[in-house]
Amino acid sequence: MTPGAVRSAHDNDLSDARPVDAVPPLWRRVLRRLWPRSLAGQTAILLVMALTVVQAGGLVIHAMDRLDLQRLAQTHDIALRTITLYRAVAMAPLEQRAEVAHAFDVSNDSSARLAAGPPADRIEPTAPPLERQLRADMLLVPMPMAQRPHDEVFLGGPEAGRLVMGLQLSDGRWLNITSPMPQPRPWDSTTFLIAFLGMTVAAAGLTVWAVRRLIRPVATLAAAADALGRDVNAPPLPETGPLEVATAAAAFNTMAARIRRFVDDRTFMLSAIGHDLRTPITRLKLRAEFMEDDEERAKMLVDLDELAAMVSATLAFGRDVAGDEAVVAVNLAALIRTVLDETVDARPEAEALLTYAGPEQLTVRARPVALKRALTNLVHNALNYGRCAHVTLTPPLGRVVTVLVDDEGPGIPVDQLDQVFQPFLRLEGSRNRETGGTGLGLPIARNVLRAHGGDVTLRNRPEGGARATVTLPLPA
Amino acid sequence: MDQTPSPPPPHILVIDDDREIRDLLAKFLERQHFRVTTARDAREARRIWPNGHFQLVVLDLMLPGEGGLDFARWLRTQSGVPIVMLTALGEETDRIIGLELGADDYLSKPFNPRELLARIRAVLRRVAEPNEKPEDKPIRGLHFAGWTLEPTRRRLLNPDSAEVPLTGGEYDLLVALVDRANKVLTRDMLLDLLRGRQAGPFDRAIDVAISRLRRKLEDDGRHAQLIKTVRGGGYVLAAEVTRV
Repeated sequence: MTPGAVRSAHDNDLSDARPVDAVPPLWRRVLRRLWPRSLAGQTAILLVMALTVVQAGGLVIHAMDRLDLQRLAQTHDIALRTITLYRAVAMAPLEQRAEVAHAFDVSNDSSARLAAGPPADRIEPTAPPLERQLRADMLLVPMPMAQRPHDEVFLGGPEAGRLVMGLQLSDGRWLNITSPMPQPRPWDSTTFLIAFLGMTVAAAGLTVWAVRRLIRPVATLAAAADALGRDVNAPPLPETGPLEVATAAAAFNTMAARIRRFVDDRTFMLSAIGHDLRTPITRLKLRAEFMEDDEERAKMLVDLDELAAMVSATLAFGRDVAGDEAVVAVNLAALIRTVLDETVDARPEAEALLTYAGPEQLTVRARPVALKRALTNLVHNALNYGRCAHVTLTPPLGRVVTVLVDDEGPGIPVDQLDQVFQPFLRLEGSRNRETGGTGLGLPIARNVLRAHGGDVTLRNRPEGGARATVTLPLPA
Repeated sequence: MDQTPSPPPPHILVIDDDREIRDLLAKFLERQHFRVTTARDAREARRIWPNGHFQLVVLDLMLPGEGGLDFARWLRTQSGVPIVMLTALGEETDRIIGLELGADDYLSKPFNPRELLARIRAVLRRVAEPNEKPEDKPIRGLHFAGWTLEPTRRRLLNPDSAEVPLTGGEYDLLVALVDRANKVLTRDMLLDLLRGRQAGPFDRAIDVAISRLRRKLEDDGRHAQLIKTVRGGGYVLAAEVTRV
């Protein structure tokens, strides 16, 4: 990463942190909180919403249809009852007509009355379609032509809640019949509601299932990309499923293969350089033994050791971290002790600067040589740039064990806390060769730990100095 | 210049494909009073072998043509001559196979000449020791008090078979103690072992190394049961050792 890029990324961080003047309205914030972040969730919500609208529409159409049917049946019913009553009254002797009408009066909330004139209710006249319907229905009941009503008056309808019909008898009197005609209310039906709810839930369930099924390849792709980031040799994606998914998987696999080839080339090149350098360094070390000047010889040997260490670090970085080393059970506490003790053996003056706190026995599954190299690099880094190294092994929390390597140095600039894990990068303050180092110590440590399924991060401690936090998974 | 009769200098066969390294190594070892013959590959070494009466072979594992490991295998059918291997960095498998074949020690290139010298001397001394009976086949593991020391892999396993990492000095010290189990090792013998490993004063280094070793063997320093302190300045490993 170029310094410019770093700065601009940093600026973005700052602008994000700036207080926002306009707080969005509450409903938007609630909506944002409720709006799912996953593609599956968003797709499912949109589909369920659309389905609900379509379903509601369909049900309204269905209900209107039922409404018409209901009204038709109701009208038919009223017409038949009315004309039947009329026939009964019309067939009865004149003096018994009022009684017959009255006898019908009790049933069905309707009322029938023999009157001198047509009904005088103050309600709207019946709508023409309904009136036509009623007249047609009334013709269905057989009756001698002479007996049929001389005149007919229709008032009211569903809007008024009742229907009033006046039918003039042959004697000039009117039979006025009032029938209740309630507004049909299809929404009140419990079956309707249950059906609606049932269908909505079923549709939602099916939608979520289908969406998750369709979206699964995206999650698989994300997981594969993540796995590739950790291990270049992660197995390829299966190139199956719908056409677009298979194409994406194939493209991903091609990209992974290219990255793998690139990494292999780099590894091969670094290994070749490392191997080729071993012979001249060995020769130089032998030649140094023949130097007369003891002091010069000692200095030359130190230089050569440093050179050898750099070659060794380059080789370690270039080599596949997993290498050919087997994963075995290893006592992590003893490994940390060994790292510290070997550092003291090489640099006796550092003894008081290196401390260890933690249990003496904690078994993890690891590649001991690689893990030792990673921890050695962290300890040396702390000692070289932070004056001391305090190593703490914390008892496992869950399935993770943590190792802290603290120092008391100047710390690391915040914007470079992650950059220091990039190969061959050394912080500005330590670029001089005094402190040595290859710029590979931290990258190697991170590679090794990530290959173990763990990680290492750096941060500054509030009380001063830097802290490297190592995490390692415990065997299940 | 040689007026007093002294034992003839040990004869060493150096096999390395790099001419410069061969010549420099020969010159270096000759200055340390060894007799040195060099060979550039396995074929030449086979030709020289029968009439050389070599006491030790320094063998580079990366040889053109027939590899170093194959040559070591052949050499073992001929004799039990000690072998010090020179290996490439990080080539663990070769090193382990070599040690399992019966090589006595190894150094990875680029090595420090003085360290090679120390290893050569240590191997020769070990072979010369009268009470050391030559092993017919290499030892895979030494068991003591539940612990296992694997010389071919230079590692220690605890009773749960978990590896317990040791520093180079700790390992050498433990090997010495296990080799002479139930026999007292004097300070002088231990000093000899640690020389060249530590930069500090040797006297203190022994006590430090012993206390580190006890801690790793979970042997309480005050009431040590495994590595006991002997009055008069010595240590003894109090355990039965079985070899497999």
